Amino acid sequence: MNFLAPTSLLFGLTIPVVVVFYLLKRKRVVKLVSSTLLWQKFISETQASAPFQKLRRNWLLILQIIMLILAVLALSRPYFATHAKSSQLRVLILDASASMQATDEMPSRFEKARKDALQWVDSLRDDDKMVVLQVAGTTEVRQSETGDKSALRRAIQSCQAIDSPTRLVPALKMAESLVRDRGKDSNSEIHLFSDGAVPDLKEFENKALPLIYHKVGQGANNLGITGLDVRANPEDATQRAIYVSVMNFSTNKMETELELSLDGKVVDARHLAINGGETSAQVFLASQTSDGVFTVHLTTQDDLAADNTASIVSLLPHPVKVLLVTRGNRFLERALRSTPNVELTTAPDLGNDGSTYDFVVLDNVIPTVWPIGNILAFHVMQTNWFDKVSQVDSPAIVDWKATHPLLRYVGFDNVPIGKSFAVKPPSWGVSLLDSPQDSLMVAGELGRQRIVWVGFDSLESYWPYRFSFPIFIQNAADWLNPANAKSSQLLVRAGDAFRLGLSQPEASAQITLPDGATRKLTLETNANEIVFGDTFHQGIYRLHVGTNDTTFCVDLLDADESNIKPREELVLGSYTKVAATKLQRTNMELWRSIAAIALLVLMIEWWYYHRRTA
Amino acid sequence: MPNPLLTPELLRRLEQFQLLAARRAKSSARGERRSRARGQSVEFADHRNYVPGDDFRYLDWNLYGRLERLFLKLYEEERELPVRIFLDASESMSFGEPRKFDFARQIAAAVGYVALCGFDRVTVAAFPDNRNETAIRGALRTVRGRKSALNFFQNLTQLTATGAANLNEALRRGALEARQAGVAVVLSDFLDPAGYDAGLTALVARGFQVNAVQILAPEELSPSTFGDLRLVDAETGGLQEVTFGRYRMAAYQQTVQNFCQRLREFCQARGIHFFSVSSNTVLEHLLLKQLRQAEVWG
Repeated sequence: MNFLAPTSLLFGLTIPVVVVFYLLKRKRVVKLVSSTLLWQKFISETQASAPFQKLRRNWLLILQIIMLILAVLALSRPYFATHAKSSQLRVLILDASASMQATDEMPSRFEKARKDALQWVDSLRDDDKMVVLQVAGTTEVRQSETGDKSALRRAIQSCQAIDSPTRLVPALKMAESLVRDRGKDSNSEIHLFSDGAVPDLKEFENKALPLIYHKVGQGANNLGITGLDVRANPEDATQRAIYVSVMNFSTNKMETELELSLDGKVVDARHLAINGGETSAQVFLASQTSDGVFTVHLTTQDDLAADNTASIVSLLPHPVKVLLVTRGNRFLERALRSTPNVELTTAPDLGNDGSTYDFVVLDNVIPTVWPIGNILAFHVMQTNWFDKVSQVDSPAIVDWKATHPLLRYVGFDNVPIGKSFAVKPPSWGVSLLDSPQDSLMVAGELGRQRIVWVGFDSLESYWPYRFSFPIFIQNAADWLNPANAKSSQLLVRAGDAFRLGLSQPEASAQITLPDGATRKLTLETNANEIVFGDTFHQGIYRLHVGTNDTTFCVDLLDADESNIKPREELVLGSYTKVAATKLQRTNMELWRSIAAIALLVLMIEWWYYHRRTA
Repeated sequence: MPNPLLTPELLRRLEQFQLLAARRAKSSARGERRSRARGQSVEFADHRNYVPGDDFRYLDWNLYGRLERLFLKLYEEERELPVRIFLDASESMSFGEPRKFDFARQIAAAVGYVALCGFDRVTVAAFPDNRNETAIRGALRTVRGRKSALNFFQNLTQLTATGAANLNEALRRGALEARQAGVAVVLSDFLDPAGYDAGLTALVARGFQVNAVQILAPEELSPSTFGDLRLVDAETGGLQEVTFGRYRMAAYQQTVQNFCQRLREFCQARGIHFFSVSSNTVLEHLLLKQLRQAEVWG
């Protein structure tokens, strides 16, 4: 047996009150009278001597009738359908991302959202159904479609906020499919309980989603670490440079101490004063004798604590061994040699798989044996990489992807190209340089091999004469360096899976979580990679596989998520917006209120009865 | 000497009244009431034949002249009317404001005074018995003549109301004790758990012309105490718990009316004059108007 409103069982506490009423002994006034004969006759006459008597106006009777009407009303469970549309299915999406941990609502936004959501469950009619989705880095179905309120409550109670940014798109897609299945006339609704800190929802612009956005949150008092990187100091290779971006998301100037610690020991601290809406970029220089973890921490007490700490694994640099396979290209060779920490070897051909080098540069040469490591290839035809390769003459450059790490500070203004291969961007890579026909430059990861493919020979363009060329070579050396790739693997955004390649098969692995708990992973027999998805809380994770220990860090580092100012509306593309609903809980069922009024009337009746006999 | 029971003005007006008896007096003592007995008076009753030994003074000589036979003239004997007043002196009569017993004594004094003025014999039977008042009650057992009125009033004044009454027993005993029936006046609240039927029936059966006056206190007619009450019967000590409020006043008063109505119907069925009064009724109104209209006296 289940109860639709188990909390109503608390009304049972009124039973002792009734018993107390009866326990109370009536205090009677003793009075001496001439004779009790008349009183005896009076009592016997007023007792029921006949089945019926004339109905008189009696306030007690009226009160009791009112109470009975109220009780009957309560039992009939009336409701108003004024605020809420009649609905058959409600998809309830509960935002459990990091920003929902903000404490501008007491005790937190997430708890407030949970409370609001529970009230919506209470307002469900008997024939309504609800689905509960929890969304953060991933979307979880906490409760499939049901009208069982206790199950829905349990599902909502089981949700927990995590340190992950919000990825609402999958949740909305799932909700959309659920709603669509119901048909157009179902009046189904999608209720999103969130602060609106969500990425672009452009793909839902024209979907006419029945989305109702319940805004949670009030303030935006937050300082957050939005960027963290560690590199060798360009001016002193013996030191490490830690780049930290701290942004003030409030409108007021805020002050804080920014502490830097290495493996738990504070090595530097700075006082920051950041104006509202501004970002402070800080560079720390620190000596490091072995691999370690740098942690930065903001000491300020703001509304969101999850973005006040971030960690990064810093591996000591090793010389990068590069093999340049070329028939002669002085520009390329000089550019590679000028790249710091590079040990360059040149060869006209590649006779082996190049496994002794960190990466191989193929310059207009098709090697006898293709290297198994990372590759930077200029004007090389490799049919395994692309479906179709075409040749274009004097291609015009229309766009390049300046945000990609390879093209950082790299421009292609005034770079004429003689002739080039052009390809359609493959599934494993992204196009970095676009001509009107196809892509001239592709970068990506094929298997576990990083590839940068440039369609044209550098010597058949003016690129080597531009500043952007050596910068690109240096960026490519960084990106293709396996040590850097490993470093980037060791920094995981909360909610993303951590992946680590295995050199030899292992049966199991053990992970120590930031809170000290350990988790044992059982690996498949032929697994060549460890994938660990339970990265919901930021901090330092330690993985033990075989005889190796690997440390990786999980951070939020998301400006969208740190911007905790609750959005008044959700933007779906350029033209569609969903404003935060002003609707409160519909409270369709009134019986609880009516029962409360009935109880009040009962009290009044009791009081009136005693008053008039006083 | 001032009379605490009745004012001189009321006494003077009462002197004009005479108890009206529907039946002829049966007393053996001479008085001023007509009786069926033959005796000496001025009222001619009948003739009868002369028998030797009769007093010659009563021979009707005119008849002898016409018929030449001797007839004797007979006259009605005037006898006294016994008036018996049953006064309830139980504890319940000491209640009320003014006290029911005080009001009852005033009525008794008025009835007694009217009877004394009419040369009737007055007997006041106070019940229940009270050993402390044996002398007073003995003095009230037989009172004759107007000159006894003062003592009569004084004795009435000294009576007290105490103890538990048995109305039926008192009335039955009074009916048996009376040598001749006369006028009986019953002054009580009739709030006897044992009832009143047997006593009143015994009086009527004995030949009394019964007048019943029920005296109730204003508090009994319209109680002013409300709430959860534990009532203690002053006579029996019995307890009665009741929750009483203004909303039940009408029902209570209906109960009292029903009780009085049953008593009234009982009396009417037996030719008993019945009066129900509150102890705060104006005495003159009862004596000079109600009793007169009911032809208790005239």
